[in-house]
Amino acid sequence: MKTIKVFVNGERYTRNIPEHITLLRFIRDELGLIGTKEGCGAGECGACTVTMNGRAVNSCMVLAVEADGARIETVEGETASTKPSKLQELFEEHHAVQCGFCTAGMIMSIKELLKNNPKPSVEEIKQGIEGNLCRCTGYQQIVEAVLDYTGQLESPGELKIVR
Amino acid sequence: MLDELKSDALKVVGKEKKRVDTLDKVTGRTYYTGDIRLPGMLHAKVKRSPHARARIIRIDTSKAEKLDGVRAVVTGEELDIRVGLYVVDKYILARKVVRHFGEAVAAVAADTIEIAQKAVDLIEVEYEPLPAVLDPVVAYGKKAPLVHPELGSYEYVKAVFTPVPGTNIANHTKLRKGEIKKGFAESDFIVEREYTNPSVQHVPMETHVSIARWLAGDQITIWTSAQSPFTVRNLFCYSFKLSHKNVRVIVPNIGGAFGGKAGIHLEPLVAVLSKKAGGRPVRLVATREEEFSMLPCRSALTYRIKTGVTKDGKIAAQKMTMFWDSGAYADYAVNVTRASGYSGAGPYEIPNAWLDAYTMYTNKSFGTAYRGFGHVEFSWGIERHMDLCAQTIKMDPYEFRRRNTLKPGSITLTGEEINRNTGNVTRCLDEAAKAIGYGKLSAKEKARQKRTGMKIGKAVVALHKAPAMPPFTGTVVILRMNEDGTVTANFSLTEVGAGTYTSVAQIIAERLKFPLEKIKVSIDTDTEHDPYDWQTVASKGLLLTGNAGILAAEDLLSKAYEVAGQILRAKTCDLDNDDEKIFVRHHPKHSITFRQIAVGYAYSDGNGIGGPLVGVGRYIAQGLTNIDKETGQGNPALAWTYGAHGLIVEVDSNTGEYNVLKVASVFDVGRAVNPRSVRGQAIGGMIQGLGTAMCEGYIYDKEGRLLNINFTDNKIPTALDVPEEIESIVVETPQIDGPYGARGVGEHSMIAVCAALGNAIQNAVGADISHMPIRQEDVWRALKNKSSIDNFITRCSVGCRR
Amino acid sequence: MNYEFTYIAPSRSEELVELLSNNSNTKMILAGGTDLIPSIRLGAFKPDTVIDIKKIPEHRIIKYDEKDGLSIGAAVTVNELIENRIAQSKYRALVLAGKELASNQIRNRATVIGNICNASPCADMALPLLCLGAKVILVSARGRREMLLQDFFAGVKKTQLGLDEYCERITVPSEYSNSSAGFKKLKRIKGHDLALVSVCATQNQNLIRIAVGSSAPTPVFAGEFDKKVTHEKIIREVLKKVNPIDDIRASREYRLFMLEAYLKRLLKEISR
Repeated sequence: MKTIKVFVNGERYTRNIPEHITLLRFIRDELGLIGTKEGCGAGECGACTVTMNGRAVNSCMVLAVEADGARIETVEGETASTKPSKLQELFEEHHAVQCGFCTAGMIMSIKELLKNNPKPSVEEIKQGIEGNLCRCTGYQQIVEAVLDYTGQLESPGELKIVR
Repeated sequence: MLDELKSDALKVVGKEKKRVDTLDKVTGRTYYTGDIRLPGMLHAKVKRSPHARARIIRIDTSKAEKLDGVRAVVTGEELDIRVGLYVVDKYILARKVVRHFGEAVAAVAADTIEIAQKAVDLIEVEYEPLPAVLDPVVAYGKKAPLVHPELGSYEYVKAVFTPVPGTNIANHTKLRKGEIKKGFAESDFIVEREYTNPSVQHVPMETHVSIARWLAGDQITIWTSAQSPFTVRNLFCYSFKLSHKNVRVIVPNIGGAFGGKAGIHLEPLVAVLSKKAGGRPVRLVATREEEFSMLPCRSALTYRIKTGVTKDGKIAAQKMTMFWDSGAYADYAVNVTRASGYSGAGPYEIPNAWLDAYTMYTNKSFGTAYRGFGHVEFSWGIERHMDLCAQTIKMDPYEFRRRNTLKPGSITLTGEEINRNTGNVTRCLDEAAKAIGYGKLSAKEKARQKRTGMKIGKAVVALHKAPAMPPFTGTVVILRMNEDGTVTANFSLTEVGAGTYTSVAQIIAERLKFPLEKIKVSIDTDTEHDPYDWQTVASKGLLLTGNAGILAAEDLLSKAYEVAGQILRAKTCDLDNDDEKIFVRHHPKHSITFRQIAVGYAYSDGNGIGGPLVGVGRYIAQGLTNIDKETGQGNPALAWTYGAHGLIVEVDSNTGEYNVLKVASVFDVGRAVNPRSVRGQAIGGMIQGLGTAMCEGYIYDKEGRLLNINFTDNKIPTALDVPEEIESIVVETPQIDGPYGARGVGEHSMIAVCAALGNAIQNAVGADISHMPIRQEDVWRALKNKSSIDNFITRCSVGCRR
Repeated sequence: MNYEFTYIAPSRSEELVELLSNNSNTKMILAGGTDLIPSIRLGAFKPDTVIDIKKIPEHRIIKYDEKDGLSIGAAVTVNELIENRIAQSKYRALVLAGKELASNQIRNRATVIGNICNASPCADMALPLLCLGAKVILVSARGRREMLLQDFFAGVKKTQLGLDEYCERITVPSEYSNSSAGFKKLKRIKGHDLALVSVCATQNQNLIRIAVGSSAPTPVFAGEFDKKVTHEKIIREVLKKVNPIDDIRASREYRLFMLEAYLKRLLKEISR
């Protein structure tokens, strides 16, 4: 067991934890922040993405003890009080969410992307979320939500209706 | 259920709306089964078989049982209980024999996951490996070892399925239409070929998760990631011989399902562990590796098609033989076989048809429902074959399709007559062709070819599917008015991600003439609090539950009108409602708000009338029948949703590298209830279809061990794999008995994308491919006329490579 | 993670050396964790102790001087390397390969040296480092030694590292800096994947250097060629050095074909 001190979504937590548990398990089971999900446990799917000192990481591959002293942001930190952030709202608006299981990780990857690159191109957005698998949306509406967020969406994705 | 409303008269239906479930999802507040923690909950782990087929000589659990913190250990030996959806063929844990790699043979529940893991590692199992059957066609042969020698003693749904005892045939669906010999005799050309595709994983981002608590008096509660809570309860009660009132199944949100969670899977195992652990709740979360190897997949298919074509481009006859690789258990595969049996020619009229579809048991991962329910798999064969037929008679493949599409007056394989309300597949094809500039290259495309040195090819394909479900499938919606005049809706679909809950809410709001914001749909499903629904499958939810929603709204309104009539001293036929008020039509200001009567109206002296408002709507599929076991004739289709894809690809004719440049998808949805949701289904399914087309599939070695049980070697599309351009189009030919004319489209977008890719690649560089997925290497092999390395059919030593 | 272990994070290299020289327990070095943690999860490795080398300040350093070239510490991540100005301006090959390594999240954790020490035949970072003549600096209680990266690989997932030894840093001499460079990687999808076959080529004033991945038990340094040598001859020579296998990812035949196709493209690209 080791004692760690971490700053999660701006709050300080001091916990005595087993050394082998992952940051993902720590966030979910110790802190009860269930928004972050496990999709594979092997760093392939990105459902567990959080930012650690500003960098997107797969929290299933980080030991909780390694996060001692680190600043962690999870999807819960994105929402101020009860109001969703602009990015979250645009995810809703563009139907960038279906089952929702990849969404938390997706949003955290985009957060890091936008921090370094406020107006990413379509290709850069796709590269930024390459490590986040989504089986439902086909990614298109996620890309559109990010384009809208960065003021680059020329025309909203359209369903053409012919009668 | 189609109100004669023009689209511009609709206020909620047909409008782009935010989904009712996504605020919690984007903020990370939605809870899934794996997020539930119960007091005293134990953690389970499973011991899995390393063999495809073996006799279990001995299982020694003594070391595991001695471990501190282990609360229950179970093996198949003590569990003489079989479970099954249509054929009751699967023990909860393998008993005496294992039938596929990854099959569960023992399980442990312990205080912590670490202890459970250690205990599972300490369980010793001695096997005697037996020769495995790994190919469905081989399994059909007389000499093949039997996967289920006891097949003759199994219970099964006799009205629908036909297992053949003493063989590996779990089901044989027959279809006979017209006179096949005559049809071939009248044909100018006979085109015959075999098409294959491997087993494929659904890959929901959330793996299967179940928690169960088995309390004294056999009172059982199950929390699970299942798509179909009532079916889980029904099958559970059947196998354990328990009353339905004793078993409660709760399904919160689901992190994707795609058919893989449609049946009953981990639930019985966690339940028996809980029982053995004295009623403590037990939780089992499948690892991704278990999702691939222990849980079901989509069946592989070997499809032989023989088509008689006339010179003028009409199909005169078609003989179809399908060998569905069900793997070790029948699960949904027998029903996939049945549904594909009656749809297997695609949306084309075949005057003389003969089809045999066999569900074959093999020693591989077992097949279940998967988005498209067989249609993705057979569309690979049929739509490749349509191009081959067209080439044979030297006709453009698009034109050849147009000549053969089902049109008003056409008769389907099962004898159903198509009419002008059925939907318009020809129109879908035309729109798809138009959207990709079919048949020629634009100046821009020509310039691109010059720049890249790659060749551009185009193709269009058509598709159809109707819900595969019992002909008597029914459902219920219950509406309850809250004190403030808002409405809570309960029904028992599960929100797997498809957005049906939002669409049903829109339909209810439309019929009530309420703003959508006033409708709350209860998303998690609890068999103890929510009304019955058969399953969340088959793209039937929108139509059946939507209709039930309309009926529930009408029921609620009629009750509200009764009370309002008394208060307003008017006949109910003179009342109308809008703006959350009921008013007298002739004197619109003479009104009462729903809020005033929501839970009963009180006069000023305190006298009450009415009572809390509820509305109940029941709906059952109309006029459908089972199909005849000998001829396949009948009326199984609730609604046909037609569609088409147009695809543009560029291919390097030297290396086989290719890029999908554009996909245009068109579906005749009757009415797009929520255009953004429809587009989400159209694109999401199309990309899932491209995954199937480009890279996905199980790879076994020759002993039947599954070699790609994780994302390292079972790749699915990422954001970078999305085509450069995507176009989504809907045709609206209203479904007369659909809610506001709508029909389902959840699965259709995935169908036939694979063949669109295959055909476009052939159009570009001539590579002729008959098995999928189409990996870059496969294109190269086809270009160099090298034999295909069909490493998905288990023929060679390493990874089945020759 | 269902398997328990003890975690130690020494803050000085002396401590690390001492921990490694104690052979009373099974221990493994943790850097980025992107290979180690999934392996422990699957029970492929069951160490008693995991030693985190990231807390040693020297390990975080990436620096450059004319004499020694670029020095990359044991805890430098792939993203830190590709964001480094010197790497971007003088060692393009490193940046090209780094960008192709897995996904952004992995690159934020995976270390360059971890990629090398894991010694997978498909290690993306190995190829540019081989082309650029990198050396590894290995440290143990027995002392410090230096060897060319091309001598470091010993087999599939095997290196020259002793059980008591660790790789402190890797140096990339300035000799091949400012080379033009190219990197090609055959994947099953366009998104992140392991290399089915990969090749890196660099060219400075006179010399073309080539390294190949996923075509032999280790990443292969396939030779140094005068730029006057014909491309056909270079390709012939390179193909002699490799021996790919058939596996579930690709056939030997296709790997060889694509290697040749990539070499043709790369040689053209770097000679521009």
